[in-house]
Amino acid sequence: MEAFRQEIIIGAVVGYMIFCVLTGLWAMRRTHNSSDFFIAGRGLGPIVVSLALFSSTLSGFGFVGGPGLVYSIGVSSFWMVVISSCGYALGFYLVAKRIRMIAELRDCISLPDIVAARYGSEAVRFMIAITIVLGVMGYLATQILAMAVVMQAILSGTEAFANVGLVTCVVISSAVLIFYCVTGGIIASVYTDVVQGSIMIVAGTLILFTAMNVFDGGMQEATSIILADDYETVMPYGAAGIMASLGWFFVFGLGLAGQPHLITKMMMNKNIRDNRSILPMSLFGYVMAALLWISIGIVMRAAVIDGVVDPLALPDDAASVFLSVFTNPLLAGIVFAGLFAAIMSTSDAFLNIGTAAIIHDIPKAIRGKSIENELFWARVVTVLLAIVAASFALYSHFRDATLVALLGAFGWGTFAASIFPVVAVGLNWKGATVAGAVTAIGTALTINFGSQLAGITFPYGVSGQLVAFVSSMVLFIGVSLVTKKPVLDNDIKLMMDI
Amino acid sequence: MRSNLIYIIFAVAALMAAILLAICLAETVPDAGGRAHAEIAGLQVGGDGTARLQYIGPLAFLFQCLLLTQIALLSLLGVAERYRTNELLTYMGGTLAITLFIAWKMFSGHSAFLDTGETAYFMGFPTATAWQTYGTWLGAIPLILIYSFGFNKFIYTKEDEEKFNALLAEKTNKLSEAENSDRAT
Repeated sequence: MEAFRQEIIIGAVVGYMIFCVLTGLWAMRRTHNSSDFFIAGRGLGPIVVSLALFSSTLSGFGFVGGPGLVYSIGVSSFWMVVISSCGYALGFYLVAKRIRMIAELRDCISLPDIVAARYGSEAVRFMIAITIVLGVMGYLATQILAMAVVMQAILSGTEAFANVGLVTCVVISSAVLIFYCVTGGIIASVYTDVVQGSIMIVAGTLILFTAMNVFDGGMQEATSIILADDYETVMPYGAAGIMASLGWFFVFGLGLAGQPHLITKMMMNKNIRDNRSILPMSLFGYVMAALLWISIGIVMRAAVIDGVVDPLALPDDAASVFLSVFTNPLLAGIVFAGLFAAIMSTSDAFLNIGTAAIIHDIPKAIRGKSIENELFWARVVTVLLAIVAASFALYSHFRDATLVALLGAFGWGTFAASIFPVVAVGLNWKGATVAGAVTAIGTALTINFGSQLAGITFPYGVSGQLVAFVSSMVLFIGVSLVTKKPVLDNDIKLMMDI
Repeated sequence: MRSNLIYIIFAVAALMAAILLAICLAETVPDAGGRAHAEIAGLQVGGDGTARLQYIGPLAFLFQCLLLTQIALLSLLGVAERYRTNELLTYMGGTLAITLFIAWKMFSGHSAFLDTGETAYFMGFPTATAWQTYGTWLGAIPLILIYSFGFNKFIYTKEDEEKFNALLAEKTNKLSEAENSDRAT
């Protein structure tokens, strides 16, 4: 079996991609209007929503960057993972019920629609839509690039495709993504998410057992090796220190309820009561899949320190080297399919919300109504958005990485800082005002963008994202408290009493 | 507490901002955010743990405690005011107490290791790290349980469902009235 390692891995990945294409064709027959395309007509069951929710949370970063971070800085990066129970809980307490109620009450199909209904303000809609588009570009570009790099690594291990170029890999992987997103919209996206999520759970569990058997003394031997080399790396706050760790705790814990690609999925369930089961199921899926993040990183760091494996060229190689050295080809095939699943499940969610912002929300904010024939334009813009993001990814790879790095700053942290106060707090507090919302979004964007542009660093590993998030929270509530109490539409007021 | 919750949330957020500022202004120590491994490229090390906590240790722990408090308060904000009963407050208070206890075990375990250089292990990790990894993960599980098992009592009751259905019915009536008047004109 070992002799056919590359063929088995390619077979698993190709099989997965064929499944995505077939799902797109199936979903196309169920997509009749823009509501179907963007929020699946609010008709999804709890298992589908749970798997879609957690698989969108864990992007390619979780499968590649996550283990790389543990390899590089140790336990510090655990904080991004272990706060998931707090993060999911907050998302459901603060957002799930209310976003679903407003969506049905006002026929909303996007997050900017929700904030426009809540605040009665096109300015807030516009700012949220712009934030989403900027974030989507950065996120999508990095996801597409990651997908192409992994595909190139797999294909170049075979004789037939040894010289395959990165551009070809971008074209192939983007084509599959575009096909099922364009044909089936969010319906294709969530049903592929179901399989993607299942693959990720299986991959995470199997990897944990494999990792525990790399050293005779199991995980304890691995952590002992790391502790002997540098004890701080394997202590609770890791090599990056206590404030970097707590920064991730804050930004990833509270911030989950501010991620547009996740909370939009909370609008899609058929029944509000399903939330009671969606929450534990999503968390279970996430925890199982995230086992891979922690276990690979720890074992690879110990293996390198112990001399079992040569030092990695890049920390992000941790997962791929682990798979080639310690796993059998079948498991490697499942995990590589899981990796593509993780990347695609996040990318399709971003394509969907980015398209909604461009064809639905920005026109509505500027001219008071959305464009005609939304479904047609949704498909066109999905293709264009993916092509622009793919071009952007290639440009950054070959010419200049600055722009993508800059937009990369509009990732999780910026979404968290700008959207969490406005949506998660604003949906539960009638005193939240337009001035508070505009100030919070503006502050979050300025600090995140400004600190990235000016290269500002804070002492003790404090991140710009943490500063932005804490500032936007304080300003959102503070400005709302000192500005005139808003007059809410009657249906929104009654909904917020529920 | 029940109706003034937003003021408490604001106070906690402002206090966290003040602590963050104090940490940023505190005397710095070399490699507080880690440094490159001396021999292996791509690895970072933490170095002297005692020095890294010398000026900011208590402040950082206070920041962590306030963050955990904020999570409990925000969860409470997500529950309609009339359902913030003594029973719910007890559950939330209990959850907060558990998470603060876990944070304390993690912080004090780390400090004890820095003092003695010795540690026991639990399920693969040094004890302090096991509190961080398993404790933080499991510490919020009561929040999940309160949500799932208390859904019909605290989150979305029968009465809430009826009110929401009435809102939807009102919306449908308005829409059909508007359609009828459109047809008439």
